[in-house]
Amino acid sequence: MIRSPRQTRRLAAAVALVAAVGALAACSPGATPAPSVTALTVGLGYIPSVQFAQFYLADQRGYYRDAGLQVTFQNQIDPDLIRLTGQGSVDVSLADGTSLIPAVSQGIPVRYVATIYAKFPNVVFAKASSGIATAADLKGKKIGTPGKYGSSWVMLQALLGSAGLTTDDVTIVEYPDYGQLAGVEQGAVDAATGFSNNEPVQLSRAGTTPVVLTVDSIVPLPGNGLIVGTATLTAKHDALAAFVAASLRAMGDIIADPAAGLDASITAVPELASDREGQAAVLAATIDAWQSDLTATQGLGAIDPAAWTTSIAFMAGLPDGLVPNPVTADQLVTTELLPK
Amino acid sequence: MTAMDRRAVDDRALAAPAATPTVTPRARARSQARTIVPIALAGVGFLALWQLVVWFGGYPSYILPGPATVAARFVTAWTDGTFGEHVPVTLVEVLLGFAAGAAVGLGAGLLLARSRRVSLALSPYLVAAQSTPILALAPLLALWFGPGLVSKVVICGLIVLFPVAVSTLVGLRTVDPRLLELGRSLRATSRQQLLGIELPAALPSILGGMRIGITLAVVGAIVAEWAGADAGLGWLLNLARGSLFDTPLLFATLVAIALLGVCLYGAMVAVERRLLGDRA
Repeated sequence: MIRSPRQTRRLAAAVALVAAVGALAACSPGATPAPSVTALTVGLGYIPSVQFAQFYLADQRGYYRDAGLQVTFQNQIDPDLIRLTGQGSVDVSLADGTSLIPAVSQGIPVRYVATIYAKFPNVVFAKASSGIATAADLKGKKIGTPGKYGSSWVMLQALLGSAGLTTDDVTIVEYPDYGQLAGVEQGAVDAATGFSNNEPVQLSRAGTTPVVLTVDSIVPLPGNGLIVGTATLTAKHDALAAFVAASLRAMGDIIADPAAGLDASITAVPELASDREGQAAVLAATIDAWQSDLTATQGLGAIDPAAWTTSIAFMAGLPDGLVPNPVTADQLVTTELLPK
Repeated sequence: MTAMDRRAVDDRALAAPAATPTVTPRARARSQARTIVPIALAGVGFLALWQLVVWFGGYPSYILPGPATVAARFVTAWTDGTFGEHVPVTLVEVLLGFAAGAAVGLGAGLLLARSRRVSLALSPYLVAAQSTPILALAPLLALWFGPGLVSKVVICGLIVLFPVAVSTLVGLRTVDPRLLELGRSLRATSRQQLLGIELPAALPSILGGMRIGITLAVVGAIVAEWAGADAGLGWLLNLARGSLFDTPLLFATLVAIALLGVCLYGAMVAVERRLLGDRA
């Protein structure tokens, strides 16, 4: 399109006017520069759940926004999250010690920066009527588990080991579809592995008293916590520290007022409203798992390096080859992001 | 149809072409080189491209290991017995599943070829079954048949059934009508017609379907192991990815699976050549 000289002059005048207005706005005494906002991609577990209530609440109450963070949640399978976090595609995600130790041993550059589950959530559960009350009672029994891998398998070996047993002393029944709760309910197995905030809760709600065997006093396996890539830890240090603080603050809010956590979860995942009572029970069990003697003295998020050292030694001794290269606790954890 | 008549049919329908001139060893070697060299060059090119992607992309080995890393891990997995423990498990599943699927597929193809009514009635369901992703069906089948060998054989068999059934159907429907007429003129019974004329004539098509089926059986075995197993190459993939975080082992296992498929395909081609001779 060929403009006439008159049109060209008018266009130039308009551009100059806009530029002048913009310059004046920038120079005026009342104008302030836009605050810097750091974008963070947060990887949560595979399925949106009430177990992520603290993140939903922190987001909805503006804790992240007030800290200058723009948080985006992603739901992915846990092993993928660790790799993506190490690579830097995800800034912060969740993982437990039984995943992190093998991952770091294989050279994935991640660090555990805050504990979320102060009690290891993988447990063995059974009906109280089964007569199973201790790890020793599992001898000769049928135990259901998703498979001979993962955190449940490590936990089971630790539990059996505490009674001088191995997996050869029990009959393992695999439930690759995670249907081991049904197996216990129907009597197909005597006990099964599960999560303290899932299967035992469902068993209770169905009117059956469960018995739950935990490993915390046997091998202090580190529960799920926040992990970051080592490069991200350096590049976004302050933003990550703010994210940790905001998330722990939301955890404290939920401990004081569980209903707030439930409401935040339902706002984020409306499908959860279809079973409000059930989700409230899961949240209550989750809140219990967030707290321990350590968090009572050192605050939510506290990390116990000695527990990591013990766990490394235990996992290195398992026959599965989970720790092919030696690692130490200081290669796995850092407390630099925890609120002082 | 008498034995003499059968020979007449054989001679006419399956007569070998005129004797070909003798091939010298040198000519044979040159012919083989013409086949092998492009394959080798393509392989080298692929490996080079892979390594360039790793270098220029700056990918760490836990995301994309280079070919040398994968090769080293492949060797380690053999020498430390990892593959020795899991390859036979998958191989048994593949062979049993293929046998079951091919047998049922052959029978289904025969039935469909024999009766247009049956073909009309069953074909849509056969296509629907094939269109349903086996990845979605596998967990259900593992639930119904258990996480043991039976569910693996069923899953493999299902995935093999369709190509063998279709290739059998097509092969039988495209038999030269002159051969059928010849058989009828020699008063061949249905059984003689089927075994002496139709199946031999349809064999190239049937074996072509089985070639596809044997490679799909490998896919079926891996998917079945994902749905529930405690051994096998598919289980090893899951373990390498989710528990061991050993990405080089994951890639090495993929290479092992591919080699298994190639070897089984090659075996099928050898069987085909043996049965068909120059018709292969």
